[in-house]
Amino acid sequence: MSAEPPVGGSTLQEEPPLPALHSGRGGGSGPVARLLPRVTGGIAFVPLVGLAFIVGVLLVEALPALRYNGWHFFTHTDFSLGNSYGGIVTSDGVKHPQGADYGILGWIVGTVLSTAIAAVIAVPVSVFAALVIVFKLPRRLSTGIGFVLELLAGIPSVVIGLWGALTLGPFLAAHVYPAISAVVGGTPSRQGLLTSGLVLAMMIVPIVAATTRDLFRTVPSLQRDGATALGLTDWEVVRAVTLPWVSSGIVGAAVLGIARALGETMAVAMVSGVILSGSPSSLFAPITTIAATIVTQLDSALTDSSGFAVRSLAEAALVLAVITLLVNVLARLLVRRVAATGLPVGRGV
Amino acid sequence: MHLAKPTRIAAAVAVAALALGACGSSTSSPSSGTGASGSSTTTSGASASGASATGTSASGTSGSTSGASGSTAATVYSPPSATVNVSETGSTLLYPLFQEWQKGYHALHGNVSITPQGTGSGTGISDAEAKTIDIGASDAYLPSSAFSQYPGIENIPLAISAQMINYNLPGVSGHLKLSPTVIAKMFYGQITKWNDPAVKALNPGVKLPDLKVVPLHRSDGSGDTFLFSTYMTDGAPSVWKLSYNTTISWPNVPGALSAEGNGGMVTTCGQTKGCIAYIGISYRSETQKAGLGEAMVQNKAGNFVLPSTSTIEAEASSFISQTPKDESLSLIYGPGSDSYPIINYEYAIVNTKMQSASAAQAVKALLSWGLDPSNGSSGTYLDPINFNPLPASVIKLSDAQIAKIS
Amino acid sequence: MAGVSLEAQGATPDDLLTDAAGRAAGRGRRIVDGVGWGLGYLALVAIAGPVVWVLAGVFARALPHWQWKVLWTTGAAGTGGLLNEIVGSLLLLLGVAILAGAVGLGTGIYLAEYSKGRLGGFLRTASEVLAGIPSIVLGYVGYIAFVVTFHWSFSLLAGLITLTLMGIPYTAKSTELALRQVPTGYREGADALGMPAMHALRHITLRTALPGIATGLLVALALSLGETAPLLYTAGFTSSLPSLQLTHAPVAYLTYAVWTFYNQPSPQAVDLSYDAAVILVVLLLIILVVSRLVVGRSQRYSETGGR
Repeated sequence: MSAEPPVGGSTLQEEPPLPALHSGRGGGSGPVARLLPRVTGGIAFVPLVGLAFIVGVLLVEALPALRYNGWHFFTHTDFSLGNSYGGIVTSDGVKHPQGADYGILGWIVGTVLSTAIAAVIAVPVSVFAALVIVFKLPRRLSTGIGFVLELLAGIPSVVIGLWGALTLGPFLAAHVYPAISAVVGGTPSRQGLLTSGLVLAMMIVPIVAATTRDLFRTVPSLQRDGATALGLTDWEVVRAVTLPWVSSGIVGAAVLGIARALGETMAVAMVSGVILSGSPSSLFAPITTIAATIVTQLDSALTDSSGFAVRSLAEAALVLAVITLLVNVLARLLVRRVAATGLPVGRGV
Repeated sequence: MHLAKPTRIAAAVAVAALALGACGSSTSSPSSGTGASGSSTTTSGASASGASATGTSASGTSGSTSGASGSTAATVYSPPSATVNVSETGSTLLYPLFQEWQKGYHALHGNVSITPQGTGSGTGISDAEAKTIDIGASDAYLPSSAFSQYPGIENIPLAISAQMINYNLPGVSGHLKLSPTVIAKMFYGQITKWNDPAVKALNPGVKLPDLKVVPLHRSDGSGDTFLFSTYMTDGAPSVWKLSYNTTISWPNVPGALSAEGNGGMVTTCGQTKGCIAYIGISYRSETQKAGLGEAMVQNKAGNFVLPSTSTIEAEASSFISQTPKDESLSLIYGPGSDSYPIINYEYAIVNTKMQSASAAQAVKALLSWGLDPSNGSSGTYLDPINFNPLPASVIKLSDAQIAKIS
Repeated sequence: MAGVSLEAQGATPDDLLTDAAGRAAGRGRRIVDGVGWGLGYLALVAIAGPVVWVLAGVFARALPHWQWKVLWTTGAAGTGGLLNEIVGSLLLLLGVAILAGAVGLGTGIYLAEYSKGRLGGFLRTASEVLAGIPSIVLGYVGYIAFVVTFHWSFSLLAGLITLTLMGIPYTAKSTELALRQVPTGYREGADALGMPAMHALRHITLRTALPGIATGLLVALALSLGETAPLLYTAGFTSSLPSLQLTHAPVAYLTYAVWTFYNQPSPQAVDLSYDAAVILVVLLLIILVVSRLVVGRSQRYSETGGR
């Protein structure tokens, strides 16, 4: 659980340096040219140092919490600061308020379920949309749709959260959820698992759709034209040639989207219901995610003068970091070839 | 409609009500700070000025009839003459007050600027402890462990706030009566309908709708949650097992909602029929605009009361003699027969050992000015957010704490 | 709609061909064709619809009470305008442009031009892993490290470094890719002409790669503009203009206004939060349009240059 970050190792890529600049010729170029490899080489370590810094801070901060919370942290759900007014006790060398208890099982469940709903909705929608964008729309229109995707990716998370909390959620709870609840049960509510999943779906559509779109553009026209010549309809060509050609890439695109949904913070905090106990009992039940818990509870944790609450949140942050890192590495292995998309596809904005 | 009254405890009444002992120390001599200005001036203090402050407050007539306010003088220090910036962060309930203070004080003393931030009580507390901020603001008092861990840390009451229990029940006029046990059962999902017999029993003659109860709680850590859960812990011990804190693991009730901040509580509750929520009294006019009802809440004596100047005053009075020197005190569920049971001191968290002499002087000057009933604690500042000024004897305790800042 | 797309996964071309051949009538095939593409168009609407809904909602709420003076007056919720937030956001963007731009440029140049073997791959992976860290985790670390441990308080520097860490992977990646896409012929040509390496880098390689590098920087800026989670506990907030102090002075930014002001008591504060949302969207549009122009130029450039 105190996992090493998956830096290096499995994902080492060896790409050859380009010719010319490092060839040692052009000797008359002066000290700048000789220094440049060293200067840029030094700068190139900044991302690594930054990453080590982040992981280091998290580890140092979380270590006492790891020790005190133990495995129990992962097997139940609770956020009890303890009786911080009843004095601080020390157990196993860890200072904490009497009765402090932290468990993130339900937060992990909330994170995973909301992300799963988002993926189940966003991936098919994105794939279908990408097919139309690439194969049906005139170029100018597909450029326009590309712009819409970039816009969606760039709209601040809080703005989408504001809309989700004040417009979408109430609308769904009034007009859509009653029909769903008649089938699957549960009490319709504007906040909770399904609303979070829908808002997340909206937020990962840009990354999945744009990546899939770029994938479809890599399918050689020769194969598609050949299939058309055999008398297949456009749609049959899609099923026979295009989709099989890029299927692993689509999985990768989906995983990229999932990685983003896992870390999404502000919008989920506004539509999830932020319930820190237990796991959701229905599709409409309030949930929380790890990211939403951190942003909503940090202030509360700061009232614990022993610092233990902050440490426990650091442990939660560490867990979230490890989960998203693993998923990201997986995604990048799957879509290395198309990761070159220039779209502003961020994460957890 | 505007329920308002000058929501202030007339300092005078408080004085009359209690503590002759308070009078004794009325001539506290402030250790005037470094600055060129040298002399510390005690501006207010005359009953005249106190009364005039009351008179200028928007809603005019008040219960501050007693004229015996001669001894309520707050000590107001002068700011340093140098240009200085006072940073403040914390409670979002105090944020609007500090914003108004910023304007008012800056107009008086152009060299002092204040940068308030509404981040949350926890941030206010921890930043004051870590000395990364001059003044932290908190709805909750400090635990004793904080005093031992951070020597020099103080919590200084600035004003009194209250919390409403609101509900969204279209068609129900007047004020429902709710007991802590009934409220607790609603938040535990044990009472699921508004026409539950338990609610009916408290409200005979009221036609209660067949609506689902939707408990609404804060999503962020909050002093409001602290107050509410303290009231539940004290008032409904048989149902409420979650203890009290700024965040609690709310029971996972189907349909329960959460909202960020008091404003979010008002908005969400206003959109949700059957909602029950706890909301800071500074948002009273917003809850009225949103069509929310305000419950008469049962106090320890068994009476159902609304928050008002007099009931808040009564609650505060019942605790004044208990207020310790460090002023860490829950004001929840007091014994008075007319007292509104959910009120609290709004605190400034300050480290007595400030970074610089001029910062210390500026903080002393600002806080003492803010406490003064004719200045920062006048109706001009407190009425819009429905805060009550501190009782005079508590002002003295706060003054004594402010004097220690150096 | 869900799940339909994946049914094709198991089918091989042969299956479909015989299948298709079997359905001689072709009418059924046309229906399937129509349904398939119909779903595609529907999906497009499902994506574009909410975008329009969000933007229309925000603009419809903001424009009726819009006052130009929010652009040049400072103040906190309900009192005055958003100048402090606008200046703060632009200041943070400027800082990100400089820091993430410089680090990304250096990293990209090194990875594309100089790095050999496993070290380059290792550094590249570190950068990509950094991109995967959720922004709330960055914000949390920023608070613990910069604000508390380093005693910087809520400050420009704390917010800036946190945002920069987030932006670096994007600028580094785009720089490297842009450099790698410079046609080898250009390099060989420069080499053949005996051009000094430094001169070739400056005048040939970097110049050709500039649009790609700029696009990556704009991506980082768009992300930084919309961030809230990493700034809440690092940059803080102030109702006055940012002082240029690096530490111990909080900075306001636009997303804070959206997140916090809609919770303030006064209706003007809620108005301001929608104003801030509109300004954010407009700034985002500017960034996107600029990046479109940059990409458009580069495409024309590479099309003429490549042939």
